[in-house]
Amino acid sequence: MNTFMRWTGFIVVLFIAAPLVIVVPMSFSNASSLQFPPPGYWLGYYRAYFTDMDWLVPTWNSILIATATTVLTMLLVVPATFALVRHKFRGKGIADVMMLMPLAVPHIVMAVGYYSYFGDLGLVHSHFGVILAHTCLSVPIAFLVLSANLKGFDRNLERAAQSLGAGPAKTFIHITLPILRPGLIISSLFAFIQSFDETVVAIFISGRDAETLPRKMFDSIRQEADPVIAVISTLLFFIVLIGIAAPYFASALRSRAPKPSRPAGAH
Amino acid sequence: MGVSLSKLTEKTDIWPWLLLAPLGVYMLIFFVVPLADVAIMSFVEPKVSFANYQKVLTGALYQRVFLNTFLTAAFVTLCCLAVGYPLAYLMAHSKPRTAMLILLLVTMSFWTSFLVRTYAWMVLLGNNGPLIAFLQMIGIEQPPQLLFTRFSSTLAMVHILAPYMIMNIYSVMKKIDPALIRSAESLGAKGWSLFRHVYLPLTAPGIANGSVLVFVICLGFYVTPVLLGSPREQMIAGLIGHQVDEFLAFGLGSAMAMVLLVITLVILTIYHRRFGLDKLWG
Repeated sequence: MNTFMRWTGFIVVLFIAAPLVIVVPMSFSNASSLQFPPPGYWLGYYRAYFTDMDWLVPTWNSILIATATTVLTMLLVVPATFALVRHKFRGKGIADVMMLMPLAVPHIVMAVGYYSYFGDLGLVHSHFGVILAHTCLSVPIAFLVLSANLKGFDRNLERAAQSLGAGPAKTFIHITLPILRPGLIISSLFAFIQSFDETVVAIFISGRDAETLPRKMFDSIRQEADPVIAVISTLLFFIVLIGIAAPYFASALRSRAPKPSRPAGAH
Repeated sequence: MGVSLSKLTEKTDIWPWLLLAPLGVYMLIFFVVPLADVAIMSFVEPKVSFANYQKVLTGALYQRVFLNTFLTAAFVTLCCLAVGYPLAYLMAHSKPRTAMLILLLVTMSFWTSFLVRTYAWMVLLGNNGPLIAFLQMIGIEQPPQLLFTRFSSTLAMVHILAPYMIMNIYSVMKKIDPALIRSAESLGAKGWSLFRHVYLPLTAPGIANGSVLVFVICLGFYVTPVLLGSPREQMIAGLIGHQVDEFLAFGLGSAMAMVLLVITLVILTIYHRRFGLDKLWG
């Protein structure tokens, strides 16, 4: 049993790794269509990506939309999380479940809803519409991270501050916020990534004017499989690698076990 | 809840409501209303009737697509289990260094955009790709078409969703007390019997978590089946998109969306009753 599991495990490692690695050589290929191994290597498609407005504008749109989504999400989620973690009130159980609802609804269902509803409101094909929709989808993820942090919060620290004469506002700014900072940063990051990666709703409502990077990639893969996608994939791959490896190295330096995990959400 | 009801009504605290209000109003306007819009459209587009549901629930095309979606989701879940379990095992029973490297790889895959991974499978399975080249090398003159088939979309979905399964099973395996295994061994259990009666039941919660998650995500999966699958074997999400985007058949699309939503919520509710939803994504 043991050896069988181990060997199968090693094969699975290859299965998981192969598709992640293959995009890197593809991005340096000089073939005009999908071809592997590449007939030759050049940097032409990198130049194409960094000079082509058809790719740069969606990239910029995605960054803009994800940033605005993150700000809006945090403004709404932070007070709500305090209410749900620190207060007991009737209807709390329902409110807790409601917070997670956007994770449970398939994105295609929301996409149909937004397509019709935002069409009526005149919000389709606009940055604003995508931001409003993405915020709903980011709420549960930001909430899960933040509430886990807040539950582990030692309230004696706040009591100590108040017994030393600090008012509620002062306690919040000087004690609560600094201690929660890691949780706030991570939940913001998750909200940002959720928006930056979100594809289905963006396909239906972003249109030409607010086209996001995933929408552009989706269209391009569907139509002609532009080799520039390999370039973007490689860039995203390395951003993820750096993002994951950095805390690993940091924790290795501090010799503490890492704990990477992510609440699932993207459909 | 540790607080009695009378105490709650006595001290009606306005603070939690004030803190919740902005988000509540926001979610009402931008989450509940669009969702309700889908529900309404399913009954009133193009005219007020149950015709959309009748068509969706009894039409041969729709039944086939629903069945196909279910079977695909079930098959993908099984495959994820088949690849995820041994990998989680390998991670849980390797030296810390090896385990960490594999964990790094799985986390990488987890965080890499669906689109990037879908594109990668397009390269791997394409007509000028390595897999076809390999088949030709070992003497298959006319390799089968791999891309844009049920095979390619299933394979890519397994790859994309496997990390959810792996993470869930691994987190359970890691916590298994080795003393339990040793005591089972001292009582004579070994090999298959040890696995079947001791190890497997201990990892069941992880399997349940991972399976529900993979199955539910797969039911509503849009991107990968649309890009990699055969146009003749659509899944439900793809067909919804098709109806709404190409034919502007909002009524039909909405009715299908409602059926998909109800099925998803039923599965998650059953799960919630038994384990609690927050555990699924925590």
